[in-house]
Amino acid sequence: MIIDSLDAPLPGSSLLPTPGGDVYTDPETFRLEQQNIFETMWNCVLRVDSLASAGQWKRVTVGREELIVVRTRKAGIQAYYNVCRHRGMRVCTTDEGKSRTLKCGYHAWTYALEGELVAAPNLTSMPDVDRQEYGLKPVHVREWLGYVWVCLADEPPSFEETVLGEVRTRFGEVQSIDNYGIENLKLGESKTYEVEANWKLIIENFMECYHCATIHPELTEVIPEFADGLASQRKNGEIHGASFGSDIEGFTVDGSSGVAELPAIAPGQERKYYAITVKPQMFINTVPDHVIIHRMFPQSESKTIVVCDWLFLPEVVEQDMDISKSVELFHRVNQQDFEACELTQPSMSSKAYTRGGALVPSEHHIEEFHQWWHETMGYRQQPAATDSPVKASADAVIAEQ
Amino acid sequence: MSLKVCHLSELTPGEGLRIESVSPPIAVFLTEEGTVHAIDDTCTHQDASLAAGWVEDCKVECPLHESSFCLLTGEVDQPPAKQKVRVHTVEVRGDDVLVELSQEAPNLPPGVSVS
Repeated sequence: MIIDSLDAPLPGSSLLPTPGGDVYTDPETFRLEQQNIFETMWNCVLRVDSLASAGQWKRVTVGREELIVVRTRKAGIQAYYNVCRHRGMRVCTTDEGKSRTLKCGYHAWTYALEGELVAAPNLTSMPDVDRQEYGLKPVHVREWLGYVWVCLADEPPSFEETVLGEVRTRFGEVQSIDNYGIENLKLGESKTYEVEANWKLIIENFMECYHCATIHPELTEVIPEFADGLASQRKNGEIHGASFGSDIEGFTVDGSSGVAELPAIAPGQERKYYAITVKPQMFINTVPDHVIIHRMFPQSESKTIVVCDWLFLPEVVEQDMDISKSVELFHRVNQQDFEACELTQPSMSSKAYTRGGALVPSEHHIEEFHQWWHETMGYRQQPAATDSPVKASADAVIAEQ
Repeated sequence: MSLKVCHLSELTPGEGLRIESVSPPIAVFLTEEGTVHAIDDTCTHQDASLAAGWVEDCKVECPLHESSFCLLTGEVDQPPAKQKVRVHTVEVRGDDVLVELSQEAPNLPPGVSVS
């Protein structure tokens, strides 16, 4: 018991506990996360401009569900479960395509881009079949920041409150995210990372900068203040503009100047980096001349696909300006972060991590993520059976706040 | 003898309208170019309504499989359909669409007959 109490930092001490390792490795926990988090909240899934013309569609996976996201002729972008209403075969069987209708390859049930059932063998002799009722089952769709967002919940949480409100409030009115005009930026580069780590490790990594001076030499050259261990994301969801070093010209791998600055940013945003986590699966990073967006697609308790987009002013992309040094900086940061997460994941099932680890003061705000996770998972109350005193302690700390 | 089958205002450019008041049913199309055409509505390969097909270049593609039928001649461009559909003579008078049905025998798919 003495060892237990040493393992479990007391409230008010320098170290706060993390959840036990099992929440990063347990398939049942992951299933509940898919159900209670990813299939319930708004997910940022695609760039709007990746569906440029009517009939273009892409397949995406959200939680345990496969969806078709399509640009229709009459109703903008819509999204449906990729499930034929007849006998259930996958309607779209490749990752993307362009077609006039969405047709199941099994019995040729054929759906309009707008979702309704328009044709099927002998359908005209079945006039009682309701074309809407037997249309593809839709999910809720929104567009924001040039991205398609979907929500699988029958009654989705308010997009205005849970996404727009949260992001705008945290950026603040003066340092407004709107200044970056993200919805008008163009994709300069996109990279996909298959990360062998639980999605929560990636979020926790992104929220803190205690690791920056150790694993991000290039980033810490550009933003020397990161050596103090404090990240752009801070307590109470606040974000801090992290300043470029005095001799740094731009947010590039060698600190050389970037490309054309975004025209409407506030004076305070001119030489700063901001970062925000939009739960559950998106990160937004802003610098004066570009914006970096991460989208996470958890595949299993130990695998997460991360898609990272680098967005620039349209003229930068259209005139094919050299963005390679800008892209290289955060590509390296991504590689460094994801390697750290991958080297952390195997330890999550170790006996030595059963009771979890610790958060130093510059990481304490990660506890707000853990608190949100507990609440969203329905673990607000102490789970009935536990063999983890540290987990119990973590819950007690949360309950006190 | 011409039959009044629908109003021009009921038609949407680029789309077809299935007319069930005649047997076998016919499909009336208003093309994006503004021309009006009438053909048998049922694909000659399998029971499917051509009115629900994709209209382009004065052809309609069956919504189920990849055969397209010419709205001017009824000819089919590729399998799986092998036989043409009948083409009916259309006259637009004001807002009325009048059709004179073809006297040829229709090429209906297996399982479909004239009621």
